[in-house]
Amino acid sequence: MNKARLLMLWRTALPGLLLLLSHSVAAQSQQPNAQYCLVCHGSAAQGNAAIKAPNLSMLPGWYLQQQFTAFRNNWRGNAAEDIHGKEMQAVAGNMSDAEIQQAIAFIRSLKPAAQPQTEGITADLQHGRQLYQTCQACHGSRGEGNAQLKAPPLAGQQRWYLAQQLSAFKNGWRGNQTNDDYGQTMRRFAQSLADDQAIDDVVAYIDSLASPAKQ
Amino acid sequence: MSNYLKTPITRRQCLNLLAKAGGSSAVLHAAGLFGLTATPAAASPVSLKPLMGKKRTVLILGAGISGLTAAYELERAGYSCRIIEASHRIGGRVMTLRHGDFIDELGAPQICPFDDAPNLYFNAGAARIPAHHSGILHYCRLLGVELQLFCNHNKNCYTQDDAIFGGKPLRIREYEADVRGFIGELLAKSAGADAKAELPFNAEDLEKLVSFAKAYGDLTDDLRYRGSERAGYASGGITAPGVLKTPRPLADLLRSDFAAGAMHFAEIADQAPALMTPTGGMDSIVRAFLRQLTSDIQLNCQVSNIQLLPQGVAVTYLQQGERYTEQADYCLNCIPAQLVSGIESNLPANYLAIMRQLGRGKLTKIGLQAKQRFWEQEDIYSGISWTNQDITQIWYPQHDAFKAKGILLGAYSWVPEISDRFAAMTHPQRLATAIAQGTKVHTDYAQHIESGVSVCWQRMNHMLGCGAVWSEALHKTGFALLQAPAGNHYLIGDQLSMHPGWQEGAVRSAWHALADIERREATRSKKYSTGVMA
Repeated sequence: MNKARLLMLWRTALPGLLLLLSHSVAAQSQQPNAQYCLVCHGSAAQGNAAIKAPNLSMLPGWYLQQQFTAFRNNWRGNAAEDIHGKEMQAVAGNMSDAEIQQAIAFIRSLKPAAQPQTEGITADLQHGRQLYQTCQACHGSRGEGNAQLKAPPLAGQQRWYLAQQLSAFKNGWRGNQTNDDYGQTMRRFAQSLADDQAIDDVVAYIDSLASPAKQ
Repeated sequence: MSNYLKTPITRRQCLNLLAKAGGSSAVLHAAGLFGLTATPAAASPVSLKPLMGKKRTVLILGAGISGLTAAYELERAGYSCRIIEASHRIGGRVMTLRHGDFIDELGAPQICPFDDAPNLYFNAGAARIPAHHSGILHYCRLLGVELQLFCNHNKNCYTQDDAIFGGKPLRIREYEADVRGFIGELLAKSAGADAKAELPFNAEDLEKLVSFAKAYGDLTDDLRYRGSERAGYASGGITAPGVLKTPRPLADLLRSDFAAGAMHFAEIADQAPALMTPTGGMDSIVRAFLRQLTSDIQLNCQVSNIQLLPQGVAVTYLQQGERYTEQADYCLNCIPAQLVSGIESNLPANYLAIMRQLGRGKLTKIGLQAKQRFWEQEDIYSGISWTNQDITQIWYPQHDAFKAKGILLGAYSWVPEISDRFAAMTHPQRLATAIAQGTKVHTDYAQHIESGVSVCWQRMNHMLGCGAVWSEALHKTGFALLQAPAGNHYLIGDQLSMHPGWQEGAVRSAWHALADIERREATRSKKYSTGVMA
């Protein structure tokens, strides 16, 4: 492998380095490098449990934008133990506004992908349905989300991720920062969930809302 | 030479002498003679039968050691190979960093700031080869990779622990001599007359045991430990009589974790002397493979779909935003399992379920460029100093003594929590931490260090981990399943070996898959020759 070619290849792979480059190389890098997202979030942005990366393909552009802001404002990824939040925070912090727009456009261009079934979780769907009464005012009766209320869609999201984020809201990894109004709102609701079993139950119910789409 | 022969010398001393006298091939040959390598020089470990005109295509996903090994062997047998690599470079976790190299960490890209000089390189991934890793050494021998000795255990290096001696570093030789002295003394005492009844020893055996204790601890004739030249003299020793150092109290020594941990590091089979490493950087092995390979290697190709077909495998990948699909008779997949589980595929559900449960190895290495080789002023040439701080280790280069500058390893941790702490820092914070902690080992550390690189493998693009972490339970239920082919698809790499994180694991996993392909091809040929279509 020719070393000059290698150098060129890696430079095109990194928009952040564009300033260092000649115009000809810069032209080649017009191609958005949003496929970067797919390394962690899965080849269809469907999420990847092994990396603890959520399904992005079912999220609307406004929510993706909001979460980029949350990571950059230290509303997410701030807690020392939030290892996976910190991974995304580093990436968000390193992206320019234009790159964020490119990434969102790229993700939105992908078809919403089904999430794989999570094995081995026992949950009480009836209890989950009761608990979801509180959630549906904002997130919709079918977990479809509500842009006006800045409540993201939930149905179709990876089940383990929903559970993880409910815990994150509960323990203050999310929704614990002064200006994060929507996060604070969500945190109050998450705190009303009694324990991990309640989280598993409501998540199982949310998961069941997505079932028709899966077939 | 005759002086050396009067006293028994260790294998390592001998190999060192040979290395000085005859270069690396002499060392390797001698290592074989000492029984350190399992494979005789001429043995061919893989025997893929030549295809003899049959056409077989193989897609190899990943240009690390397992992929390169597979491509090399397959090419020689007449298979048509194509290597698809997700990142911008070839080598995987064999990554030797030099001036100007790009380090593709998610959210924290760096350019290696080392000066442009042949001796200023840092093995950020694989760094050492145990002499019994005969698979990777087979390719070093075959492909002409020059080796030099690598030192894991140097008694002149330091151990530093805030729990003892006010956090002051102590030479490993002093620590070990004192611990062994006290243990020897304890053993000699316990081997007294009382022990006879409890141990199935006769008087002669006991005498031997006492002799052992005496030699082990360097005891005086009255079986006491009163210090040893092994600790290094407090003064004198060459033109004036040597003055022994006063032994440190055993209780103090034991208060450091070094006693129950790092002191025995080089006893581990894979870490014990003699180790080797390629001259000029570990990626000499990658370059040696590339000199031989004719297969096409495509960089920046991110696999997005793997489909098992009745007679082969179809792989779709993204390159510069475009999707391409290729089909082949076989697919050897070296992609880390934690990333494969995020790639759309029709791989069996039980196969993917195992992948989702594998842990991501979290390892951090920091490389530092030093203006002066200050360690040489402290009688250190190669080896590892240990500290109970997060940096855990400082490595000194085994190569290029007395040159103007040098590259140190300034931190290496494989403890997930520690590696997470480094990953959470910015690159400048990581370097500042490495320098601040290193200062407890070398007082003027900060003034010697001028630049550095940090590599958190769990954050590296297209890797997201270093070596799969198998729990014991998962190993029982999942290892054989993942190791077996799914259709014509084989998951390989060090992740599918008992040696994750070692090149030997990568080589052997490739051989394992090739042996299976060989078996299937033999069956296919047989069926064909008897008129039955495969």
